[in-house]
Amino acid sequence: MIKQYIQSQIGKKQLVAITGLALILFVMFHLSANLLLFLGPDYFNFFPELIHSTGIGLRVIESGLAAVFFLHIGLTVALVRQNRKARGQQYKSVDYSNRSIATRLMPYTGMILLLFLAIHINDFVLQDHSGVKSIVGGESLGLYGLVYNAFANPFRVGLYVLGVFSLGFHLSHGIQSVVQTLGYSHPKYTPIIKHMSRGLGVLVAVLFASIPFYFSYMNIVGCCYVS
Amino acid sequence: MGKRLDLTLRIWRQKNTNSSGEFVTYDLENVDVNASFLEMLDVLNEKLTLSGDEPVAFEHDCREGICGSCGAMVNGKAHGGEDKTTLCQLHMRHFKSGDVIVIEPFRAKALPVVKDLVVDRSALDRIIESGGYISVKTGSAPEANQILVKKDLADRAMDAASCIGCSACVAACPNASAMLFTSAKVVHLGSLPQGSTEAASRVINMVDEMKTNGFGNCSNEYLCEAACPKGIKVSNIAKMNQWYKQAMTNQPLSE
Amino acid sequence: MSHKLNSKVPTGDIDKQWDSHRFNLKLINPSNRRKYRIIIVGTGLAGASAAASFAEMGYSVDVFCFQDSPRRAHSIAAQGGINAAKNYCNDGDSIYRLFHDTIKGGDFRARESNVYRLAQNSVNIIDQCVAQGVPFAREYGGHLANRSFGGAQVSRTFYAKGQTGQQLLLGAYSAMMKEVHRKRIRLHTKTEMLDLVLVDGKARGIITRHLETGKIEAHAAETVILATGGYSNVFFLSTNAKGCNVTATWRAHKKGAFFANPCFTQIHPTCIPVKGDYQSKLTLMSESLRNDGRVWVPKDKNDTRHPNDIPDAERYYYLEERYPSFGNLVPRDLASRNAKYVCDEGLGVGATGLAVYLDFADAIKRDGRSAIEQRYGNLFEIYERITGDDPYTQPMMIYPAVHYTMGGLWVDYNLMSTIPGLHVLGEANFSDHGANRLGASALMQGLSDGYFVAPYTVPDYLATTDLETVDTAHPEFVTAIQNCESRIEKLLSIKGDKTVDDFHRELGLIMWDKCGMSRSQSGLEEALDAVKNLEKEFWTRVNVPGSGEALNQSLEKAGRVADFFEFSKLKIQDALHRNESCGGHFREEYQSGDGEAVRDDANFRYVAAWELDPETGEEVLHKEPLEFPNAPLSTRSYK
Repeated sequence: MIKQYIQSQIGKKQLVAITGLALILFVMFHLSANLLLFLGPDYFNFFPELIHSTGIGLRVIESGLAAVFFLHIGLTVALVRQNRKARGQQYKSVDYSNRSIATRLMPYTGMILLLFLAIHINDFVLQDHSGVKSIVGGESLGLYGLVYNAFANPFRVGLYVLGVFSLGFHLSHGIQSVVQTLGYSHPKYTPIIKHMSRGLGVLVAVLFASIPFYFSYMNIVGCCYVS
Repeated sequence: MGKRLDLTLRIWRQKNTNSSGEFVTYDLENVDVNASFLEMLDVLNEKLTLSGDEPVAFEHDCREGICGSCGAMVNGKAHGGEDKTTLCQLHMRHFKSGDVIVIEPFRAKALPVVKDLVVDRSALDRIIESGGYISVKTGSAPEANQILVKKDLADRAMDAASCIGCSACVAACPNASAMLFTSAKVVHLGSLPQGSTEAASRVINMVDEMKTNGFGNCSNEYLCEAACPKGIKVSNIAKMNQWYKQAMTNQPLSE
Repeated sequence: MSHKLNSKVPTGDIDKQWDSHRFNLKLINPSNRRKYRIIIVGTGLAGASAAASFAEMGYSVDVFCFQDSPRRAHSIAAQGGINAAKNYCNDGDSIYRLFHDTIKGGDFRARESNVYRLAQNSVNIIDQCVAQGVPFAREYGGHLANRSFGGAQVSRTFYAKGQTGQQLLLGAYSAMMKEVHRKRIRLHTKTEMLDLVLVDGKARGIITRHLETGKIEAHAAETVILATGGYSNVFFLSTNAKGCNVTATWRAHKKGAFFANPCFTQIHPTCIPVKGDYQSKLTLMSESLRNDGRVWVPKDKNDTRHPNDIPDAERYYYLEERYPSFGNLVPRDLASRNAKYVCDEGLGVGATGLAVYLDFADAIKRDGRSAIEQRYGNLFEIYERITGDDPYTQPMMIYPAVHYTMGGLWVDYNLMSTIPGLHVLGEANFSDHGANRLGASALMQGLSDGYFVAPYTVPDYLATTDLETVDTAHPEFVTAIQNCESRIEKLLSIKGDKTVDDFHRELGLIMWDKCGMSRSQSGLEEALDAVKNLEKEFWTRVNVPGSGEALNQSLEKAGRVADFFEFSKLKIQDALHRNESCGGHFREEYQSGDGEAVRDDANFRYVAAWELDPETGEEVLHKEPLEFPNAPLSTRSYK
């Protein structure tokens, strides 16, 4: 039964939706944690330190997250490959002008996200949180410091803005898509969810993007937390 | 007599399934704006016949938008893109003189081109064959009013049952998915008490049959709904998704 | 009765006939049924319902349709509804009343016993369809809803939005696909029957052409069932689908099946008028429109004003004036004929002068736009889509069009034709509607024949007939294939200077003018000559492009039109011989002073069944007299 479900068109899609939903929740959590950056290192560093203190727990969370992530991608790749094959001969004249851009770009925003994620993990997860890159004004500010220093580079700011807007785009289709795929439909609420999905996508992108901009600005005016 | 149009038609010509096709350009003058799109093609075909060419093959029958025979991509849109209109009900008054009209068959691996604009839609029949029915034998039906059906469910069943099987949903879907077609039948029968007994096996078998025939997956873009000449809603797809999940996990199907 | 016609009508009280007859019919043991192969041609309501029923019983069934899917058969286009004597509305309906209304509506030219059985079966049809999931309209309490239709005085019509035919067909189609899945039915789509094959005088198979590959094939069976619909398309323009044709029944006629009442044609009064010479078909607007619309033409034939600018005093509400008590709701044939008369007088409107107004302005003023929108919204939408005119702000234009044909192959009470083993169901037979069909009765007949009559009577034929083993190597099949091939070769070889549609259109015009709504001896004689000449021209000047070995839609049409030519001569001959006016057959010589049809029960109370004499090529008339002990003869009046 499970095998049949995974092999079926709807089953695959629903697993993509469920893993997508888990990733959305992770993103929300990540975003809330990120917003603590605005309150300074004391508030922000609380979380990463807490997580690191769990030791093996961290490994479990990380591998769980990675599994969900790769399942999401793997199943999507399988679906997209089937979709490409399903057309057979391509249209010469098809008019897709009424196709939503977010939807159309799903596989591409997904790929950009994957790349972005690799850079992001390299930037912040794999670095020593109390190492050289965390030192601001001669003092290590932990992960906060890493973030602060990373966004001194305008190139990286641009890269992150691109990354989080891809994420926003991806979510603006993804959220309502999850609802449809898992089979919830309502004449009144479905259109509202579609609007919310779009709104949420934009909100997530803007809030995430505010961080590189904020630190870019901080780097110019100088950090207020450095004595 | 109505106003007249001079048109340039770029029509996909393909001898048979195995040959490769190409666009051929025809000039057609003096087309009455009151003619339907198929009548415009009739006029072209009469001209082609008399000039020794083979007429353009296209499927059609009732020409009043109910049999589901006709259909083609007109300027990139299934059935020409007018709201809730089959190709036979599309009228030439929606075009203007000098227009170039590109006419291409519906395309999907599961619906191979037979000739010119004619495609083989037997895959849709196979999906119905796999479970799109209620297993009642002739003669074994109870008195009709013993089966009461809530009006909202009866209406939902009716709306879903309006599908004419034209395959415009498949043609318009970027993934050539047959989810709208299949869900319309699943929801039509599953919404009714007489069809609920088999609803779980029905949804599993029909979804499976879609894949076997090589249709693509739903990516929730809803272009099918926009192209459907009968206004079948994607809420049917959501309902099918829900029922599929419930059927696969041995849960009772929700209403 | 002609000695060649045995209607096999049971004796006894009419309400017990079918029961006692059924009991007397022979049965076939369930374990033996799969050895019997049944060919069914056509997948409309009659064909699909019969196919499903036979397969469920265990017979081996081969089903043929020319469409790419059996779901597209033309039953799908019926809008209004299906009658049944359920009496759910407690308004006085009964089996007897439905029977009586149908006999009277058919102007006393149908067989009583068949019609009574139809009314009896109507009740079971609704049960069957509901069980299959046909989404009939419902009341808030969950019960089935009914409406009154086509001038009936009781509410006995069941409906599914404006798509009753489609929903009933999808029910029968899905029942059939269930049996295709069980491998009891072999489905042959895109396959057109070209000929019937007789062995030892019994129907034993058919010859078909696959429309995509062009392959000509023989199929043998123990019995053949034709459910191939009517012949409206002899008129070229009709409300029938483009593919509807007379070929199957006509080929059977040429092999010995008698053709009954070919002149009976129903003209529907409310269709969208012809706009130009490119027109390919006509679209019917539901009859219900006449409940609120007022029919009129300008009093002055030179009036070129926009209809909204013509004051009431200068409008001729001809139906209301001529038939004060029924007004706009007179039966289909009267409404149609009167539209023709006013147009013949030059009062017609529109570009062609062949249209009358159907005006909703008064109804909108009286009930409000939203009430009218609720009642007719979807019809107004169809009208606007086709014509580009808005019927809320200006009158619709309508004109009659051919819609249904009551005539067909003659069948006995068992629905078997004069060829043993050839059964004919639905519109393809002549049996239940007499000279005029009531609204919402066609669907009823198709399903009654397929679900509840043929499944009893066909096994009786199989059980009581000596059937030797026959396969397609039999010389009769070989010869029939050769005949079909040489006919196709002939059609392809002419390569003349006129298209098939040119000829079909011309034939249609002749038939519509002289053998349509109103007929006269001189007109019919002219028509006969004209058809003969045109037919000769067809066989020398038609251009059928392409070859026979692939999809060739011109070739398909050419074969059908060639048969329409032959058929139309018989239709005219039948109209010529029937010196009376009844139902859909109106002979100008036989009318009262005020233009009413005058039936001649003394001389024409019979079914005219025509036999083609293979020696002389002449059509020979056989008469099946009709008796009406249960529905006494009466003359209708709508004044």
